[in-house]
Amino acid sequence: MKLKKLHGTRMRASRRPNRLASAITLTLSLALAFGQSTALAGQTERNQAKRIHDRLVGTPPTNATLDAMETMINNDHTNGPVQAALYAIDPTRTESSPFYTYMLKDFAAPWTNRDQQVFVPLNDYTATVIGMVREDVPFNTMLSDDILYTAPSSGAPAYSPANNDHYQFLDDKNVDLRTALVRTTQSSLTGIPAAATAGVMTTRAGAAAFFVAGTNRAMFRFTMLNHLCHDMEQVQDTTRAADRIRQDVSRSPGGDSRIFLNSCVGCHSGMDPMAQAFAYYNFDATSGTLQYTPGQVQPKYLINSDNFKPGYVTPDDHWDNRWRAGPNSNLGWSQLLSGSGAGAKSLGAELANSDAFAQCQVEKVFRQVCLRSPSNAADRSTVTTIVSDFKSNNYSLKRVFAETAAACMGN
Amino acid sequence: MMRVTSFVSNKLAAVALTALLALSACGGGAPTTVNPSTAGPVAAAAYNGPSPATADIQAFKISVWDNLQGDDRCGACHKPTQTPRFVRADDINLAYQEANTVVDLANPGLSRMVAKVRGGHHCWLADNNACGDTLTKWISDWASVTQGGAGKQIQLIAPTVKDAGASLSFPPSTSPTSSTVEQAFNSDVYTPILSKFCSRCHQASSATPQQPYFASMPPSTGATAADIQNALDTAYAAAQTKINLDDPSQSRFVLRLRNEFHNCWAPNGGAVDCAASAQAMEDAIKKMIADANITATPIDSTLVLSKALAMYDGTVASGGTRYDNNAIAVYEFKTGTGSVAYDTSGVQPALDLNLSATAKGTYTWVGGWGIQMAGGKAQGLTSASKKLSDLVGSTGEYSIEAWIAPANVTQTEARIVSYSGGVTTRNFELGQTVYNYDFFNHTAASNANGAPALSTPDAAKVLQASLQHVVVTYDPVGGRRIYVNGAFTGTADASGSPLAGWDDTFAFVLGNEVSGDKPWLGQIKFVAIHNRALTLPQIQQNFAAGVGERYFLLFSVSNLISVPQSYIMFEVSQYDSYSYLFKDPKFISLDPNAKPGDLVLKGMRIGINGAEATVGQAYSNVDTVLTDALYSSVGGESISKVGTIIGLQKGPTSDEFFLTFDQLGTQTHVHTEPSAPTPATPVDPTTQPVDIGVRTFDAINATMAKITGVDINNANIVATYKNVKQSLPATPQLDGFLDSHQSAVSQLAIAYCSELVNSSTLSNAFFGTSSFDVSTQPGRDLVINAVVNHVSNSGVSTQPDPAAVDAASMHGLLYSLIANTDLSKAALGLCQSAPCTGARVATVVTAVCATGLASANMLIQ
Repeated sequence: MKLKKLHGTRMRASRRPNRLASAITLTLSLALAFGQSTALAGQTERNQAKRIHDRLVGTPPTNATLDAMETMINNDHTNGPVQAALYAIDPTRTESSPFYTYMLKDFAAPWTNRDQQVFVPLNDYTATVIGMVREDVPFNTMLSDDILYTAPSSGAPAYSPANNDHYQFLDDKNVDLRTALVRTTQSSLTGIPAAATAGVMTTRAGAAAFFVAGTNRAMFRFTMLNHLCHDMEQVQDTTRAADRIRQDVSRSPGGDSRIFLNSCVGCHSGMDPMAQAFAYYNFDATSGTLQYTPGQVQPKYLINSDNFKPGYVTPDDHWDNRWRAGPNSNLGWSQLLSGSGAGAKSLGAELANSDAFAQCQVEKVFRQVCLRSPSNAADRSTVTTIVSDFKSNNYSLKRVFAETAAACMGN
Repeated sequence: MMRVTSFVSNKLAAVALTALLALSACGGGAPTTVNPSTAGPVAAAAYNGPSPATADIQAFKISVWDNLQGDDRCGACHKPTQTPRFVRADDINLAYQEANTVVDLANPGLSRMVAKVRGGHHCWLADNNACGDTLTKWISDWASVTQGGAGKQIQLIAPTVKDAGASLSFPPSTSPTSSTVEQAFNSDVYTPILSKFCSRCHQASSATPQQPYFASMPPSTGATAADIQNALDTAYAAAQTKINLDDPSQSRFVLRLRNEFHNCWAPNGGAVDCAASAQAMEDAIKKMIADANITATPIDSTLVLSKALAMYDGTVASGGTRYDNNAIAVYEFKTGTGSVAYDTSGVQPALDLNLSATAKGTYTWVGGWGIQMAGGKAQGLTSASKKLSDLVGSTGEYSIEAWIAPANVTQTEARIVSYSGGVTTRNFELGQTVYNYDFFNHTAASNANGAPALSTPDAAKVLQASLQHVVVTYDPVGGRRIYVNGAFTGTADASGSPLAGWDDTFAFVLGNEVSGDKPWLGQIKFVAIHNRALTLPQIQQNFAAGVGERYFLLFSVSNLISVPQSYIMFEVSQYDSYSYLFKDPKFISLDPNAKPGDLVLKGMRIGINGAEATVGQAYSNVDTVLTDALYSSVGGESISKVGTIIGLQKGPTSDEFFLTFDQLGTQTHVHTEPSAPTPATPVDPTTQPVDIGVRTFDAINATMAKITGVDINNANIVATYKNVKQSLPATPQLDGFLDSHQSAVSQLAIAYCSELVNSSTLSNAFFGTSSFDVSTQPGRDLVINAVVNHVSNSGVSTQPDPAAVDAASMHGLLYSLIANTDLSKAALGLCQSAPCTGARVATVVTAVCATGLASANMLIQ
């Protein structure tokens, strides 16, 4: 069966290795897959350096790099591992390219589509995340900044707000994103006013995934899910005021208002007043572009108005965070912000300056680098420390990667 | 007042009949409701007096006098002797004068006449409210001619002022163990009364199950303790809405026995005694309250409180603005109990519908006027249904209008409203198929089933599982049209066709087919048949009029502010069986000279039964100043445009509402939010996850490129990677690693090694030669060492030692791959089974390279 599958591949005849090679390679690879030999004696730091590099960059280090990292750890067992990790992903070093070109891309790819698929092409959302990590742009601006990364000198077709060709080219050609990406602004390329940009939420890929059709609640839900690590079920709170729930939410689904009073209201009472921030946005699937209509609420906010006529009619993009009170105050909203505003930019800042945002970024990195979720008291303590460092280091996600890799480097 | 003897004898007869039926129900579960008479009034002598002097008197005669003059209506008394003689036969003009003393043309529903029949005064139907509604319709018809429609100004009536709070309520059930109250309910009410006298119907396993199941019983044999507790829990939950803890004598349980003689028994032995039964029920409820020591929780005295109201303390906000001039059958489902849905169109004969269960399920009444169809049906007699055929036949056009809430958007071929003889023969039908409304109509161009149906388009998803107003119209010129929620859906026939001869032996039915096998699931809150095609403005008028019982509740706030007779007014209705709808809050004073005078209003909350509702508060964020400029003494001043629903607790007769304020005028109360609970510590997995894993797809590709030196953009590599990419590991977890992943890894490794071996430049860099000799030991070592050294880092103890040569090491395995001579192993080495010369050399080197490249040394991180 396995042989048959090998033969089914589409390699050119002249270059196709013969059946013998294929069969033996497969059999022996399996034999070797988990048949590692017993460890050599000593050299813990070298093993740690190897793991740090593998986990971060995705490729094995050269022996020279490994030597350098080992030395850093040997020289300072407290700070050395983090220095070694930062060395491994130092964007000035060619060897760190796979971290930017592949590992960060695959890290961010699931955030850019509703199916949370990792097998999607590079896009402006993921490229912006990569660029922000590379340049240590404070990551808490990722939902509010007028920021975009493109690769103008890569030979790719120019950035277009109407298609993904620019990034598809970079993806197809394995262009080194460590060097190719250049910071620019969305407002200069997409036609969206600077004040209406909101980081990755208003990138073309973000809009295509979450501002398309529907009611724009998807943008809120997926931003909560991807960047605060809380899906709606986890933030249900039926005790919030129901005054901002739109008309399209039936108060008596199928004639039974208990469903609304016990379930629907729990999410919508908090979600609808915040998702109102997106009232002027729509992704037009026909033109393939993000539309922004300042002062004019998108029709999608007013659909199915007869489901509950006395429901809320959206007049503008003013948003309020009702979850600053009640059980969801545990998400740790910033006391420096007011908890209300107009438009996606200020909502993005509200979300990205919460404790939950910082915690979520660290937990995602932990899963990527440690290959598991935090699963005991020691892990949780590690995460708490890294979250604290993340905030005090001006939200440097690169440093989060380094500290996490150091924490999981093994003994 | 009345001809007393006749009245008394009629009532006695009714009492006797009802008691007789109740008695029989005790014995055999027979229905307890008398079927109404649907015949028209008994004809009296034709009117021979003076002609009506005015058009108004003529309208009075046609709409009211003709309908009421029969001896079975009002004619027996108010025609010959009893004042007011509003149906006197000697002179219609004098009758008109007398009628004017007992009607309110501006507000027909508030007429003295209507109030009398609603109160039970000589109602000719089994339901007093059905009489009241029918009479209201007749007076409205008169008013519509006189005043060009019954448009009217609602007269707000100041409610009795009472304080909020101090009401008793049930604590929540605590199954699997009973609460004290539930135990008292069990010993005082359930066991001695409900399970004994009500379980023949009011339990799910009854042959004639009748909601609510306050007499739920465990299986008669083999019941476990859990079964018994479940039955008690169900009964306890269902009984709560039927018990008035504040005033046990007003409990539905007691009223049903005392006033409606429903299924009484003989508490004192001998004859059935409804009064004694009611008293026994009332005593049992009181004993339960005493045994469980239910006491009122006093309302927080620091709150800024309005005065309190129950829904029925409000002023009726009757929908007097409907367009019903051509309604020939109207169902409002106000009865709320029994098995008859009354036709209150006033058009004789009344096409009342008998509610019944079918093999597919049953029906239940829902709060706020309506019926829930769950497989049951509501069907009229064929003789009464004939009026539809007759009256539609006379105009050649008609409309079906309904307020409905489909239970789901998955049912197909479901009959909502039908006039049919069976599954395949009908005069008309409004049906549901998934998201679509279907309209069948029997015309010259259709078949006997009214097909082809006119349906709303699939993509539009017009039908939603929420309350909708749907109107379908037909006229012979334009054909059929479908309107939903006051808007034309765009669904219409291209042209019309005259009605085929309708079969007047068919029956009119709601919620099912007459055969009972095509059920529609959902709520029906209103149905009307008009024998004209309604126009869009008429449909919009009826949509705007809404549906269901609505009240203006005036919450007095005069005690809080200096504005005299000041109120916060809400429009309140029972939204469904489980909630109330509150909307359009306004500040208003009944003193026409009063004004709010910059009144600050902040944080208004709705309270119910002594406590603020926990769910559904929609005015807690209100922060406004009520100004004289925006205030009108007629309409008050709006506080908010939104509405909300508040969960029903005891039922509309018992639930008592009030308002609280964070600030009203100068009165303030600081609302404190309970502190958020501390999140629980996560539960650790019992087995700690391993902390190693495999490289994922892009990392594998990049790693192989780095190890071999082959360009990652090499056309063959790109093609192979594209093929196997999604077969490579997408996550690093070891327990997600499958043999298919290893297969894909091997394919990619072979592609890389093939490119490596076929390129002399790359081979020279990797192996130190491009001219291989695997037939000799040094030649084999060259290949093997190169592979081992490239896929491993030096000096890393978590990898196999590149320098080791024992058989278990990577080096040893690769060696035996080429040169194994041990016949006890599965196969000879590649260079032992056949000579390693010519083209076979490259193949063997590729195999060795790929075996190393696809190994755990590369894969594990």
